Amino acid sequence: MQGRSVAPPLSFASGLLLLSALLLVSILFASVSGAYHIQAIQLLKWLFGVGQLDEVSRNVWVNIRMPRIILGIVAGAALGISGAVMQALFRNPLAEPGLVGLSAGASLGAVLAIVLTPGGLLLIAIAAFLGSLGATYLAYFLGRRSHSMAGLLLAGIAINSIVFSLMGLLIINANDAQLRDLTFWNMGSLAGANWIMLLGIVPWTVLMVSLLLTRWKALNALLLGEREAFHLGYSLSSLRWQLITLVALTVGPIVAVTGGIGFVGLVVPHLVRLWLGSDHRWVLPASVIGGALALTLGDWLARVLIAPSELPIGLVTSLVGGPFFIWLLIRGRR
Amino acid sequence: MSSGVMVVESLRMHRGKRQILNDIDLQLHVGEVLGILGPNGAGKSSFLAACCAELPITSGQILYDGQSVLHAKPLDLARTRAVLPQHTTMTFDLPVTEVVTMGAYPFPEATTEQVNEWIDEAIERADIRHKAHDSYRALSGGEQQRVQFARVLVQARAIENLKGHAFLFLDEPTASLDPKHQVLLMRVVRELSRESSTAVVVVLHDLNMAARWCDRLMLLSDGEIAALDVPQKVLRADLLERVYGLPMSVMPHPLNSDHLIVMAEG
Amino acid sequence: MILSFSPARLVSAAVAVASMFFAAVGAQTLDPSRLVTLGGSVTEIVYALGMGDKIVGTDQSSIYPPEATKLPSVGYYRKLPSEGVASMNPSLIIASENAGPPEAIGQLKQLGIPVVLVDDKPTIESLRTRVQQVAAAVGLQREGERLLEKFDKELNQAKSTAVPDLRAMTVVMRGGKLLGAGSETAANVVLEQAGLKNVLADQKSYRPLSPEVVSALSPDVIVVTSSTVDSMGGLDKVKESPVLSMTPAAKNDKLIVLDDLLAQGFGLRFPEALSRVHDGVMGATK
Repeated sequence: MQGRSVAPPLSFASGLLLLSALLLVSILFASVSGAYHIQAIQLLKWLFGVGQLDEVSRNVWVNIRMPRIILGIVAGAALGISGAVMQALFRNPLAEPGLVGLSAGASLGAVLAIVLTPGGLLLIAIAAFLGSLGATYLAYFLGRRSHSMAGLLLAGIAINSIVFSLMGLLIINANDAQLRDLTFWNMGSLAGANWIMLLGIVPWTVLMVSLLLTRWKALNALLLGEREAFHLGYSLSSLRWQLITLVALTVGPIVAVTGGIGFVGLVVPHLVRLWLGSDHRWVLPASVIGGALALTLGDWLARVLIAPSELPIGLVTSLVGGPFFIWLLIRGRR
Repeated sequence: MSSGVMVVESLRMHRGKRQILNDIDLQLHVGEVLGILGPNGAGKSSFLAACCAELPITSGQILYDGQSVLHAKPLDLARTRAVLPQHTTMTFDLPVTEVVTMGAYPFPEATTEQVNEWIDEAIERADIRHKAHDSYRALSGGEQQRVQFARVLVQARAIENLKGHAFLFLDEPTASLDPKHQVLLMRVVRELSRESSTAVVVVLHDLNMAARWCDRLMLLSDGEIAALDVPQKVLRADLLERVYGLPMSVMPHPLNSDHLIVMAEG
Repeated sequence: MILSFSPARLVSAAVAVASMFFAAVGAQTLDPSRLVTLGGSVTEIVYALGMGDKIVGTDQSSIYPPEATKLPSVGYYRKLPSEGVASMNPSLIIASENAGPPEAIGQLKQLGIPVVLVDDKPTIESLRTRVQQVAAAVGLQREGERLLEKFDKELNQAKSTAVPDLRAMTVVMRGGKLLGAGSETAANVVLEQAGLKNVLADQKSYRPLSPEVVSALSPDVIVVTSSTVDSMGGLDKVKESPVLSMTPAAKNDKLIVLDDLLAQGFGLRFPEALSRVHDGVMGATK
C-alpha cells in the first residue's frame, strides 16, 4: 500500500455517521419486515400516533419482533467490539472472542444444562454464562505465566479442545431431542428475546461496551508492541486481565442467551479496519455500530428467507461471513 | 532528592547461568549525553533495557532522582523516562500523526493545545512533516524510525513539562537512517540535552558518531565497564583493540581538533 | 346437622355443577377453520378425521399423509418461530405436548391464538388420548371414537397372528451413523407389540451401534426405515454394512422396511406397522 494517504479526522467522524445512518435505516427496515405481514405505512402511522393498528399486529410487533431487533443490536455491538479488542490484544487480525475458550465454555455449559437438567431458557443461559467465564479464566490463569500473548493463546487452544471432548462425552448420552436442541443452540438464535430479558441485558451490555470504548488508547499503544506499550506506561499484565475480563463479561451473557453466533466478532472489526484504518479511536465505535448492523440485517434474513420457518442466526452469519471472509483474504494479497 | 540525576549502583544481571552485566556503576546528570559502546554481546542493549525497567536485574539499584525503578508503576516510569527502541514492528497501520500523538498518552491531563504544540515541534525536528498525513505502513524503514523518534520527542517534551527535566534512552537510533538524518537526529538529541534539561543514554554502534555527539562514553566488554570517561580518554587505540579484537587507529579530526576519528584497520 | 334446601339454592347448585362439568370437558368453542398442526402424529390424526383441508400450516415432522408435506412448514416443532406461526393466521393450533420452546407457545397464546397441547408419549394409551384430544379440539368427538374403534379392531387383528418369539431390533441412519432404538422409543413398542423381543431394550433411546455389540446381540429380525435404506443406497447395501452383516437377520434376509413415521412415530397406522413386521417375519413381501 505505497503512499496511501490516511484521511484527516473529519472523514473518520463522517464515516461513523454514515455507519450510524445505515444502522438506523436497517433497524427501521427490519422492524417493518417479517414473517407476519404488517403494512409498513400502517405501522409508521401508528408509531407516530396518527393511525390504528389491530391488536394482533401490535402484539406481534411489540412483543415478538422488536425485542429480537433490540437483542440483535445489543448482541451485534457486543460481539463487534469484543472482536476488535481481541484482535488488538493478540495483535492478530484473526482473533475473536472464541479464542480464549469463551464460546466453547458457553457451549459446554449449555450441553450440561440440556443433557443433565430439564432445561429451559433460563437454566441454559445461566449454565452457558458460567461455562464461558470458567473457560476464559481457566485459559487466563494457565496462560499468564508467559510474558507474551502466546501463552494465553495456547491455553485457549488447550481449553477449547478439552471442552469439546467433555461435550462429546455428554453428547453420547444425549437422546434425540436433546441432540437437536443442542445443535440448534450452537447455531444461535435471537428468538428467545423478551422485554424482561432485555431489561437486564441491555443496560449491562451498554455499560460493558462503554467501558471497552474507553480503552482505545491502550489498544493503540498495544499496536506498537508490548514493549513499547510498557514504555508508554501500560502494565501488560493488568491490561491483559482487564481486557479479558471485560470481553468475557460482555460476550458471556450474550452467548448465554443467543447461543453460538460466529463470524461477527471476526469479520466486522476486520472490515472496519480496512475502511477506517487501525486507530482504535474509530475502530472501536465503528465495530460497535458495524456489529449491530450485521446482526440486524442477519436476523432479518433469518426471519424472512424461509418464512414461515426461520434460519438460526449463527447459520446466516456463517453462510454470509464465511465466503465474505475468504474474499477479504484473497483481496488482501498484494 | 536531587533533581535530574540517574544513578546506577552495582548493577548485576543474570540470565540463567550466564552473566550479562557485572558491577555497573554510573551517575548521569541532565545536560549530558552518554554513549554506550561495545562489541556485540557486550551487554549494551541489556544495560539500556535494565535502565528502562524493561528487564529484571539480579542485584543493584537503578534510581531516577532518588526513586528506584524496581517496583515503579509503568505509568510513573512513562512520566519520567522515554525510550526509542531499535525497531518497532507494527502489524496494523496507523496515521503518522496518531503514532506521534501516542507520546502524549501517559499525560491525559495535558491540554489538546499543548499536545498539538509538542506534536508539531516533534514532527519538525524529526523532519517528517512532508509525510505527516500518510499511513505509517507506507513509509520507508528510515522514515518509520523518524516517526518513532518524533513520538519519543513528544513524550520527552511532556515529561520535561511535568517534571522540569527528562530521561531519554535510545537504542541504536541511527541504524536505519541515511547519513543526513543520522546527523539530524543526533543533533536534536544533543540540543535536547542542552536546552531542555534532558539526560540522554544512547547505544551506538558507530564509534565516530559516538565521538562526535557524546559528552561521555561507556565502553562495555563482556558485561563489564572497560572505560567510562570523556571520548578522549575512552577512544584509545590500545583499549579499543583489546575490546573489539581489531586494530584501530585514532586521530584528531582534521577540521575540528576537539573531535576524534576512529578507523578500524585490517 | 340439618341443612335446609330451598329451590333457589338447588338450582344454583345444579348450575354450578353443570358449568364445572362443561369446563372440565373443555366446552369452550374452538374454531377449527384454519388449523396449524405441530407434530407428525397430530397432523396424521387431523387428516384421518377428515379435517385435512383445514390445515394451513404444519411442521417439519409432519410427513404423513404425503399431502401434508406440501403445506407451509414452520420448521422444527421444538423451536417454533412465533412470528412465523402467527403469520399463518391460525384460528387454532393443535400441538404435541413436546412442542416448544415454552416461551414461543406463551407468545402465541398472548396473541390470542388458542393452543391445544395434546398428549404425545410413545405408548398406545397416549395415542388413544391424543386421538380423543384432537377430536375434541376440532369438535368431532364422535368421529374420534370411530377412529379409535377402527384402530382397536385393526390392532387386535394384527396381534392375533401368532409370531415366534424372535430377537429383533430397529435401526435408523442419523448423521451418517447407524443408531439402534432402545426402550422409551415408539420403535420399541412396535417390536414388543408385534411379539418380538427388542435386543436393545436395556439401552435408553437411540444410540450408535457397534458391530461387536450387534453381533453379540444377534437379532433374527431387523426393522429399517425407508429413509435409511435410501441413504445407504438400497437394501443390499444395508445387508452388507459392517454393523449388520454378521447378524442372523442379514444372513437370512429378514430385514423389514417401514417408512419413518411408521417405525418411529405413534400414529393411527400402528396396526399397519405390526402387520408389516409380521409379514416380514413370516417371510412374505418386504
